[in-house]
Amino acid sequence: MKVILVDPERCTGCRTCELVCSLTKTRECNPQKARIRVLSIPHEGVDLPIICQHCEDAPCRSVCPVGALRRDPQTKAIILEPAVCVGCNACMMVCPYGAITIDTERRELIKCDLCDGDPLCVKYCVTEAIQFVRADIAMKIRRKHALEKFVGPMLKSRELLPAGGRS
Amino acid sequence: MPYGWAGRVLHIDLTRRKGATLPLDPVDTRMYLGGRGLNVITLYRELKPKIDPLSPDNVLIFGTGPLTGALSPLGSARFNVTAKSPLTGILGDSNCGGFWAPELKYAGYDQIVIRGRASEPVYLWIDDDDVEIRNAKHLWGKDTYETHQSIIEEIEDPEIHTVEIGIAGENLVKIANILTDAYRGTGRTGLGAVMASKNLKAIAVRGTKGVKVADPDKLLEITLKDIEILYSDWFSRLFSEQGSMCLVKIYQDLGALVTKNYQEGQFNPIEGLLGDYYAGKYEVKPRGCFSCPLHCSSFWMITDGPLAGVRAPKIEFGIVINYTTRLGIGDLEVGLKAIDLLQRYGLDSISTGGTIGFAMECYEKGILTDKDTGGLKLEWGNGEATLEMIHKIAHREGIGNILAEGSRIAAQKIGKGADKYAIHTKGLEHIECDPRGIQAWGLGYAVASRGADHLRALPAFEYTISPEKAKELFGTLKAADRFATEGKGHMVKWFEEVRAFTDSIEACKYITRTGLIWPEAQGQVLSAVTGLKLKTEDVLLIGERIVNVERAFNVKEGITRKDDNLPERFTKEPMPSGPSKGHVCNLEPMLDDYYKLRGWDVKTGIPTRENLEKLGLKDIADELERLGKLPKPKS
Repeated sequence: MKVILVDPERCTGCRTCELVCSLTKTRECNPQKARIRVLSIPHEGVDLPIICQHCEDAPCRSVCPVGALRRDPQTKAIILEPAVCVGCNACMMVCPYGAITIDTERRELIKCDLCDGDPLCVKYCVTEAIQFVRADIAMKIRRKHALEKFVGPMLKSRELLPAGGRS
Repeated sequence: MPYGWAGRVLHIDLTRRKGATLPLDPVDTRMYLGGRGLNVITLYRELKPKIDPLSPDNVLIFGTGPLTGALSPLGSARFNVTAKSPLTGILGDSNCGGFWAPELKYAGYDQIVIRGRASEPVYLWIDDDDVEIRNAKHLWGKDTYETHQSIIEEIEDPEIHTVEIGIAGENLVKIANILTDAYRGTGRTGLGAVMASKNLKAIAVRGTKGVKVADPDKLLEITLKDIEILYSDWFSRLFSEQGSMCLVKIYQDLGALVTKNYQEGQFNPIEGLLGDYYAGKYEVKPRGCFSCPLHCSSFWMITDGPLAGVRAPKIEFGIVINYTTRLGIGDLEVGLKAIDLLQRYGLDSISTGGTIGFAMECYEKGILTDKDTGGLKLEWGNGEATLEMIHKIAHREGIGNILAEGSRIAAQKIGKGADKYAIHTKGLEHIECDPRGIQAWGLGYAVASRGADHLRALPAFEYTISPEKAKELFGTLKAADRFATEGKGHMVKWFEEVRAFTDSIEACKYITRTGLIWPEAQGQVLSAVTGLKLKTEDVLLIGERIVNVERAFNVKEGITRKDDNLPERFTKEPMPSGPSKGHVCNLEPMLDDYYKLRGWDVKTGIPTRENLEKLGLKDIADELERLGKLPKPKS
């Protein structure tokens, strides 16, 4: 099983993920229609990609009165079926991440479907701020990132890392 | 115009408090694309020569490009703002990234044209099709950050984007700029003062419409491929790690890093100002503009000492160096604190640093004394005095009132031979790269359509290209030699064409600095977004057309070859030391070459009828002839 792993420290706030997502899903570039959104507080250096985590015990799925949200047996993604959805917004209200939004033009709820197991936002993220990895490996990657931060200056002081830049 | 462009122009008349939305002219988009190109032809048509830039007669134009808001490996964040400059009296124009321009495109506009002057402070609120002129009396006097935050609270939407002016603009400081979201600036030519002269404090935008793309699959494919090209290049990799701060070392090693108002070309000790020192000590995380794969900017913070807590989401070599080596200062934190002040006040970092450098040299030479400066010791290396000068210029306080006019006018007011130390071309202060160490940059500064400017040409190949490639492109191996003048006219012309194209599709010139600079690469992205198919020669022709319209605008304002000059420091005083020792910028032969290649009259530097007509600019040739400006054809 794979999960989406988000690292706000690596996110540059460029919102390429929003553009790739909306272009793939709706054939136009429009962040309003993206299934992933980046929340930024630029003056505090905060950038956080908001995307469905396909929760194990998904509140959106539990609360849906018409059963419009199903779990894909292969990818384990929670898929919203627009044909079944009645637009009651209950899923949007209970989502702990705010990852379900409304396409106000088409008047329908939209959410991430993991692009059939190959999420494009991940593919286009140059800093790997969004990754799609096996759940058991995800934690190892988080630990490695933390370690890099902690050990980086130490290694640098021993000149094991290049000093940065070309001489 | 179903793809790329929104197809609409928003016209605002502040005097009459009226607005209108008109269709974008499809012929104009074919000839000028958008952004910088579309803005300059609009300004050319709108303005009569010799109007007062701070009068209601001036027109302030914000322009996005066909890529703006689309997925693009070349970035799609940028916009140009254009008006007659109060600093130089010629074309005023500046380009900026961030997130405001895509929002404007999503609201359904390619361009905003602002005329007249509001009777009291106002701001513009653009909410898709609903446009409102709102009272801004409560915002007047606020810095850019407070203004940005206040508007967000008023609109009650944390995701809107703004452009705004600070206190410097309000005080009609001639080197004031316009910021977006209070941290990215349309730095140059003093257009913050023009916006203030219209009583316009800010423009806030919310857009929900999106950009239609001609070939989504192709665009997705090109984007991945271009990201690979971008990162195959050492220069881009370095840029992604250190941003433009990596240039400190590059220019230092060339002996072309402005030091003490260009008295020298190297600063020592340099270690505390280098890109890797910055990245290690102050950088918190990298940040990019909209749709940017390069993320050359970063959020930084000072964590200890008296300046602990100072932070900003933006850094640029061009800001830091102007408040360090240019003024003989070795403390990076002075540069960082300057960023914070310049953003809040809304000041052009290059011109403000350049003007302070001018004042410091005047102080050194005894032209300015303690009496003039109010007791401030304007000595090289004095960081405190430097930061104090920024306050004084923004508030027009004491000596700041004179320096607020920029170095050219300040030198005239001060007299006593001060003009010798005012380092500008056409009234615009030079950037940090000393042209005695790289000749093509000198030519680029001299002919740039907005005064001393590196971004019109940005001839990066002069120190990155192989001699073989230089011969293929510019006809001589020597074009790759930074001290040679041969081939430089050709090089600058080619670069000016390409950069004008990039600015008009509103891609980023940093992303397109090396591997993605080629007309084919840029044309491919434009084609996927808009469906417009352009060959290399079309790209260069559109660029050339834009350069010629800009020149014609300036010719109408009286510009000729004599204004395409450099300060004597660059042309007559050999570099005293370092790797560029003994060199001057040998401008005249490069100028001759450049005009010949451009098809401009070599004596006057004015475009000829033949050249203008070749570019589809017969109207402009006719007008220049009516004004008696057009060179007589050779018999």
